[in-house]
Amino acid sequence: MSQLATIPELQKRIALYEDMKAYKDLYQLLYDGLHRFSFSIVRSREVAEEIVSDVFIKVWQIRGRLPEIDNLKVYLYTITRNFSINYIQRNYKNAAISIEEMDIEPVIQVGNPEDQCISAEVTGRIRQAIMQLPPQCRIIFQLVKEDGMKYKEVAEILNISVFTVRNQLAIAIRKLGESLPLYVQSHIPAINRFSAS
Amino acid sequence: MNEDRFWLLVSLKLSGEAKPEEMAELGTLLQQYPELGLRAEVLNTIFQPRSKSQSTDKDISFNRHLQRLSNHFSEPVLQYENAEQSELIEQPRIRPFIRKKLLWITGFAASILIVWFVAIYVPGKNNQPKTSAQNTVSTKRGSKSKIQLPDGTQVWLNADSKITYNENFQGALREVQLTGEAFFDVVRDESRPFVIHANAIDVRVLGTAFNVRSYENEKKTETSLIHGSVEITLRNSPDNKYILKPNEKLIVQNDNLQLLAEKDATKKSEPKKPILTLAKINYQEKDTSALETLWVKNKLAFDGETFEEIALKIERWYDVKVNINDDRIRKVEFSGIFEDENLQQVMEALQITGKFKYNIYKREVTIGR
Repeated sequence: MSQLATIPELQKRIALYEDMKAYKDLYQLLYDGLHRFSFSIVRSREVAEEIVSDVFIKVWQIRGRLPEIDNLKVYLYTITRNFSINYIQRNYKNAAISIEEMDIEPVIQVGNPEDQCISAEVTGRIRQAIMQLPPQCRIIFQLVKEDGMKYKEVAEILNISVFTVRNQLAIAIRKLGESLPLYVQSHIPAINRFSAS
Repeated sequence: MNEDRFWLLVSLKLSGEAKPEEMAELGTLLQQYPELGLRAEVLNTIFQPRSKSQSTDKDISFNRHLQRLSNHFSEPVLQYENAEQSELIEQPRIRPFIRKKLLWITGFAASILIVWFVAIYVPGKNNQPKTSAQNTVSTKRGSKSKIQLPDGTQVWLNADSKITYNENFQGALREVQLTGEAFFDVVRDESRPFVIHANAIDVRVLGTAFNVRSYENEKKTETSLIHGSVEITLRNSPDNKYILKPNEKLIVQNDNLQLLAEKDATKKSEPKKPILTLAKINYQEKDTSALETLWVKNKLAFDGETFEEIALKIERWYDVKVNINDDRIRKVEFSGIFEDENLQQVMEALQITGKFKYNIYKREVTIGR
């Protein structure tokens, strides 16, 4: 993702100049991803928006120390995870303590309605398969697919090993793949052809 | 064939984590099992990047965030509004969305909008090229700000203040216009003096740290020098220059400008001369900071100031209105330093010394006997 290159720069501008334009740019760059991630845990758009806002309040509070943070994107996803889990624990009795036990609401785009490549039947099957994935597997799949995260980043955010991320993602892909009919009626344009070349 | 291995390779490829040898291995498998390739192809299609949400949605959400941010930082100030809810202090920091009564945009959010606003308009009385763009940074009551000018000079802007400067900040002089109060830490550049145009005075410096206090609704303009040296000229008599030494402050009485000129009937043609006072900066015993600059560290300090003067400071600091219904209290002097204390705590402390009664209702403080 090309946007990643600018995060360190925004980080620096916020720290050195308290640059509000940079602060806004950072918010806009990361809002969708952080909101999606939080929503998957708290299952409310409004609460997720407040959590992202709290995360950015924190960014403002620690603005002077921002350059010390190596990967700000991962750092902010981690805070978002913590705030979201805290919210669940505060507001629900007997709430789960870890993501593995939580009911993760996936926010995963499975083809656009205008996308003619894949039939509704196929997207339906995939959605169903996603819902049948274990919660942790679901959120790993989401972070890799929707947020373009590297395994190492996902591992750091969820506080699990890279090995676990790699295995869980392979499980997700396998389950999704196997949910598909063996001989899919394919209208996939050549450009999108899957190949290992 | 080991299907686990196949799907692992597919997942590595889709997530961009596959090594060249893994790609090669996948290629071989795909040739052997074309029917698996079709499934993988479908997954590849759904793995394409998602469509981005509208940026206008994010604008709206960012503005909501700014409101929450400004509310967050003024929360101590607002505590008195929720005094009856003090038992709720332990409540989760994330409040239900609906309970958000806090929709007023405070100075913080507002000042941000102003920072972005680059005006082409140049105030007429300043002799700057009229074509150059001006940057204006301002703070509302109840908020402060810190900015860095293009030359690296740091400026702390107190509440209800405004600073304007040339966008490119080039030319023979580094010039800024100030209303309100600001602390300057000027980067030394002897070839380009730094000039501050305040209400009644112009302050000319090379490289130094000092505080200028020039509120339109106050009776005096103060310049306090921490280190370095500054040269002050009065707007009304540019020929007289005053050089400040470190730890000195120059106080210019704005409201006597008129008075003085009227008395000075013999020299009617002369420009009006304000009354000047040269004073020492006040240092705290245990602290190396001058009282005049404590506001930079978010400390509210009064140094033998009359309640009238203090009321103005409180109005700006907490963004409230202070009504003094007891005239006896107006001229009573107070000294004190408040750090991280809310309006109620400050009023409580003043009340004990000043023996007055006060009442806080919404954003109004009423002082009575």
